[in-house]
Amino acid sequence: MASLAKCVRLALGAWVLSLMISASVPSIAQQVNPTASAVKEQQLLQELNRIQGRVSIPDQRSGVLEQPAGREWREFRNVTLRWIGGIAILGTLAVLVVFYLACGMVRLQGGRAGRTIVRFSAFERFVHWMTATCFITLAISGLNITFGRPLLLPLIGHEAFSEWSQWAKYAHNYLSFPFTIGVVLIFLMWLGGNIPNKVDVEWIKRGGGIVGHDHPPAYRFNAGQKAVYWIVVIGGAAVAVTGYELMFPFYLSGIEGMQMAQMVHSTVAMLFVAVMLAHIYIGTIGMQGAFEAMGSGTVDANWAKEHHSLWLDEEDARAATNDARSKPAATAAE
Amino acid sequence: MARMKFLCDADRCIECNACVTACKNEHEVPWGINRRRVVTINDGKPGERSVSMACMHCTDAPCAAVCPVNCIYTTDDGVVLHSKDLCIGCGYCFYACPFGAPQYPKIGNFGSRGKMDKCTFCAGGPEADGSKEEYEKYGANRLAEGKLPLCAEMCSTKSLLAGDGEIIAQIYKERVMKRGYGSGAWGWKTAYRETIAS
Amino acid sequence: MLIRRTQRSESDRRGSVAALLSGQTGGLDRRTFLRRSGLAGGAFAALSTLPLGSVRKAEAAAAGPLTAGATVRKSICTHCSVGCTVTAEVLNGVWIGQEPTWDSPINRGSHCAKGASVRELVHSERRLRYPMKLVGGQWTRVSWETAINEIGDKLLDVREKSGPDSVYWLGSAKMTNEGSYLFRKLGAFWGTNNTDHQARICHSTTVTGVANTWGYGAMTNSFNDIRNAKTQIIMGGNPAEAHPVSLQHLLEGKELQKANFIVIDPRLTRTAAHATEYVRMRPGTDIPVLYGMMWHILQNGWEDKEFIQRRVYGFDDLRKEVEKWNPEEVERVSGVPGEQLKRVAKMLATEKPATLIWAMGQTQKTVGTANVRASCIALLLTGNVGMSGAGANIFRGHDNVQGATDVGLDIVTLPFYYGLAEGAWKHWSRVWEVDYEFLKSRFDSKQIMETPGIPLTRWFEAVTLPKDQVAQKDNVRAVFVQGHASNSITRIPESLKGLKALDLLVIADPHPTTWASLAVEAGRKDSLYVLPIATQFECKGSRVASNRSLQWGEQIVKPIFESKDDLEVIYLMAKKFGFADKMFKNIKVENNLPEAEDILREMNRGSWSTGYCGQSPERLKAHMKNQAKFDFLTMRAPKDDPEVGGDYYGLPWPCWGSPELKHPGTPLLYNTNLSVMDGGGTFRPRFGLEREEKLPDGTTRKVSLLADGSYSRGSEIKDGYPEFTLASLKKLGWDRDLTEAEMATINRINPATPDAVSWSLDLSGGIQRIALMHGCVPYGNGKARMNAFGLPDPIPVHREPIYTPRVDLVAKYPTLPDAKQFRMPNIGFSVQKAAVEKGIAKQFPLILSSGRLVEYEGGGEETRTNPWLAELQQDMFIEISPADAADRGVKDGGWVWVTGAENNSRARMKALVTERVGKGVAWMPFHFGGWFAGRDLRGNYPKGTDPIVLGESANTITTYGYDPATGMQEPKVTLCQIAAA
Repeated sequence: MASLAKCVRLALGAWVLSLMISASVPSIAQQVNPTASAVKEQQLLQELNRIQGRVSIPDQRSGVLEQPAGREWREFRNVTLRWIGGIAILGTLAVLVVFYLACGMVRLQGGRAGRTIVRFSAFERFVHWMTATCFITLAISGLNITFGRPLLLPLIGHEAFSEWSQWAKYAHNYLSFPFTIGVVLIFLMWLGGNIPNKVDVEWIKRGGGIVGHDHPPAYRFNAGQKAVYWIVVIGGAAVAVTGYELMFPFYLSGIEGMQMAQMVHSTVAMLFVAVMLAHIYIGTIGMQGAFEAMGSGTVDANWAKEHHSLWLDEEDARAATNDARSKPAATAAE
Repeated sequence: MARMKFLCDADRCIECNACVTACKNEHEVPWGINRRRVVTINDGKPGERSVSMACMHCTDAPCAAVCPVNCIYTTDDGVVLHSKDLCIGCGYCFYACPFGAPQYPKIGNFGSRGKMDKCTFCAGGPEADGSKEEYEKYGANRLAEGKLPLCAEMCSTKSLLAGDGEIIAQIYKERVMKRGYGSGAWGWKTAYRETIAS
Repeated sequence: MLIRRTQRSESDRRGSVAALLSGQTGGLDRRTFLRRSGLAGGAFAALSTLPLGSVRKAEAAAAGPLTAGATVRKSICTHCSVGCTVTAEVLNGVWIGQEPTWDSPINRGSHCAKGASVRELVHSERRLRYPMKLVGGQWTRVSWETAINEIGDKLLDVREKSGPDSVYWLGSAKMTNEGSYLFRKLGAFWGTNNTDHQARICHSTTVTGVANTWGYGAMTNSFNDIRNAKTQIIMGGNPAEAHPVSLQHLLEGKELQKANFIVIDPRLTRTAAHATEYVRMRPGTDIPVLYGMMWHILQNGWEDKEFIQRRVYGFDDLRKEVEKWNPEEVERVSGVPGEQLKRVAKMLATEKPATLIWAMGQTQKTVGTANVRASCIALLLTGNVGMSGAGANIFRGHDNVQGATDVGLDIVTLPFYYGLAEGAWKHWSRVWEVDYEFLKSRFDSKQIMETPGIPLTRWFEAVTLPKDQVAQKDNVRAVFVQGHASNSITRIPESLKGLKALDLLVIADPHPTTWASLAVEAGRKDSLYVLPIATQFECKGSRVASNRSLQWGEQIVKPIFESKDDLEVIYLMAKKFGFADKMFKNIKVENNLPEAEDILREMNRGSWSTGYCGQSPERLKAHMKNQAKFDFLTMRAPKDDPEVGGDYYGLPWPCWGSPELKHPGTPLLYNTNLSVMDGGGTFRPRFGLEREEKLPDGTTRKVSLLADGSYSRGSEIKDGYPEFTLASLKKLGWDRDLTEAEMATINRINPATPDAVSWSLDLSGGIQRIALMHGCVPYGNGKARMNAFGLPDPIPVHREPIYTPRVDLVAKYPTLPDAKQFRMPNIGFSVQKAAVEKGIAKQFPLILSSGRLVEYEGGGEETRTNPWLAELQQDMFIEISPADAADRGVKDGGWVWVTGAENNSRARMKALVTERVGKGVAWMPFHFGGWFAGRDLRGNYPKGTDPIVLGESANTITTYGYDPATGMQEPKVTLCQIAAA
């Protein structure tokens, strides 16, 4: 990666410079002509890609005199990122629209059984929705930073846009905390159901049911959901870490590190948004009966049978055991 | 119209910090904000040079390009100014700036940034020239009074030059010709994409 | 356009001052910008039409609604001796802005960090606001009246019991000429010569050494004139940090002349960074280095033989000493290789004019006087004195240290170097129009009246030593310090004992200073007063820059809070002592404030010896008004100008004769290329007319000390001549030109033998006038002395520092034997011997030197209180070389303990690992204070007056060592050890 190359170059340059310096260290009374050996700007820039010196104020970062690396970052932020974001988000939307138009909502093939079973507890649903609302706010306020200036600003004018962006920045900063907590909880809460296994291979082979006409079997979470889980966990961790690096400037790194952090943060966030669009689609208009899982927390037994047959078997088995143990029996959910 | 630029002749700069305190004095810049600073390269070694640095008022300013709210603009004099009313303190200009010019007062929690502050080339901000509002937000507007930035005007050795880019480049060129050496106009290539032949 | 910013001053400034007066001390961000929150609704409407991308500036008509009505006043920067003019904009009594002073021929608009921030000094919220005293360890507010009464009663009580010499009057180079002169006069009327100021610890050795060489102890040329030099050698100075604006002249001169720019220093300083040749030497070996250069000069016959023959005395004696310093010995002692010195020597001798620039690197040593003498000798040897581009360019320290020295705020002389002999006292009693017998009655004895006082470097020993070791009636029991730092005096641990033992300590200053914090630390609970003094921007008067130019500073604003002008405090003390009427006989006093102009006029009337007689207040004010008319290079105004025609800027002394004579001042001392009335001059014969020398065969011969065939242009006497007296005028037949009034004055001065009345005693100025009329210099035309007989070392001799790492050299180059000097014992020899015997150099292997930072000045309390400066240097530090740091596990920026060779002294500070210093050398800035031995003394200051930045003082670590000729301390070379904390 470019950054690695940069690091190597930096280290090499520092080494070369230190060699030069140590070669010219004056011992007592060694004759030197400071003017003849004056440092030259372009030479330093070529060696190190940045010029750093000594300042007396405690803020040592101000010792960086010149650092043209910002130009590359500018190119990324103003051009590359907008392409990445645009393609990822618009592309996903387009695919979803096409899919919806082509296939429509995935309906329950067997109709509703009338019997429901619990899929997500109240706590699970709380964590999901907390994280989700945070995510949406973060996504919108984040997208505003990248796309607001060309898209929104001309529509609403400078003052309104700044006002909105200021709020958006506050929201982005403050909501990062519940979002991060949410990601951590999601990670812990659903880790058990999201370890990949053999069933996933089959599920993936059959494209989650798109290939062929029946649904592949799955435990509580199918491979698609597992993918979303891991994207949320890993992507969430990535945006959180890089986000905090930006929010607490100079605690973790200098400017170059912050430029890197911003690049990672924004790229991951764009892809994250794209994936979440698909997630939202499937959870809502994409599939009949899916929203209930996070809505009421219960799903129709037929839905469970079609999409998570192995999980339903497990749940039924567990319910039977419970029934045997404790009478009078009660259905798990009414 | 004149295109304003800064030029620090490192063969004259002695790190006396007059530019730094003149700036503080003229604009009453608070503790912790350093619109201008002096950096010494190769400190204590032969060839040591000090350079006074602030916002260079770049051509095609990167800060302005990356600002998410487009609050940074270039005046007809080539001075890069910004509106503190529009600034949201996101820090992007600081990532883009090659010279570490943008400064943020630490306000609020977790290192969050306040409104960006930087050298204005003593040209104030978007408010009416010489108005109280302008002074309170950005400091004095010397340019509107026909004066140049105080940092350069008070420079102890006339190392720091400010003014029309062509004129100060000419002054520097003559100096280099006369004395026969010059370590370059620091930052010019990065800021203005040009160098002064020396 | 020079005016602006109306509203700010009224609302903001007034608001803050009001807040201060009501006792609220705001935080540092008192004046932070009003940060308009992006959420504030009001921000919207105002900007709704803002066209971004390219905003057209509103037309210039809007310029200056904030500026209307301000007035512009000019004063002089109070931070160093370069003498930069400060232009202030004042509105409604508030100093609202600073502008560059383009017209000043000295600074051409420029300032350094300190000069560019002086406005804050006046408005500082941490200044002393009212008099306070320490009662039972608590700071308590008192009125001025109470303070003056209590202080006065106590001083009179000390005087009653122990005599007038038991009160030490410590004045300041920060005062105007008028202030320092009056302070010296106060000492004279009080009856003591214990009156001193910063020159003691700054350039006392220069004044003595240089005056003993060629007449006057001051910078011979000017900053501007250095532009003419082909070779500039800076040895023992770091003007880039100590005199930054001077570098404008030095560096431009270097560029325009393609001059050699040589820096000889133990540190690669900010000045050395621009050198064409940098010579690193061991601290304390200036004489070997200079002799090393002279060795090459003599070896190659580069000396200026004609110059030496005509204008120099004692060359043969010098040659004998120089011969001992062959390149091998020089390198062994100083570490400088012979080849490099040969190169530098050649430039000094052959690429002329060459100038030698120095500051405290040479002076602050036990051999300080000898060091500067060796420097002068190097110039004499190469004929580099008395012409443009050459000379001994001695950069003085404080803004008015040259002036305060001239006006005699000193222990060895009355004003203007008249000395302390009976004749001097009689001269000043005539000027002051008081009875000589009255003055004599004020002293313990006539003998003590004519004996030099105690140097300020020894004040604490004068308090604590056994009574019989202090050669006056009693120990010092009270110290009245007006404008002097305590932390710039060496041996702070020792001084604490003195601070404790004093009966009374009075600190008159804009800030409480380390005198207060250390006195409380020493355990004082009572009899400690602080009096708020106005900064010099709140006073008017004249100051003398290093180049001897006098500049008149206007009062920019009135003294704020309850602070008082220096002059007023001196008057109040005199009034309390009951001799105000006599002391201010010819000085107008209004509301207790003596008029500065009148004081200067009194000085004009008495200062014939130094040529301060021509600089009337009117002429000085005209110069400030007409600054733009003076040429930047020559500093001279066009001859046809009606107000300042032909004058040199600031009438650099000597400015002979009465103001009416219109002498233009002397821009270059001893310059025979100009006639005296154009500022020319000759070396001053001050040490007799001839000298008997012993020859090797036992016989003696008489050698003339007058110039040989050299004279200033247009002189009617075409050879050397002695000073002018009435007798010599008579001999020449020139006495007929004296007017009747002049003759009458001369007869009044010495009715018995009017013939003995000289150019310096003649209050009529007639003798000077006649001498000048004939193109002659009033003081005569003599030779400069390579052999300054009368000094402890007539020819400079290398002597190792008291605490030297080179114990192997002590036997060959020991310091001078113990002796009694300035009423005090100087036991340097015993201390050096004991240090060698105890192996101190093994315990403390690093050489410790000290110096200036650009951001701070002197003891630093004032500048460390200025947030614009304090922000730039927030921690006391010690520079240590990477090799020494690695040996000790010391990291750059890490805390270290520095320990010193005396009193188990120790100090905690940050390490600055840098190659500025060589291996074996450490360096500290001397401006910090307010910590002691690792303890923060912030609580010792009266509430709200503590400087923003505190730190350990370098002088906590410094040690014994006093120049025998002046009592100069030795903070530039001692030993220390450093360990990571």
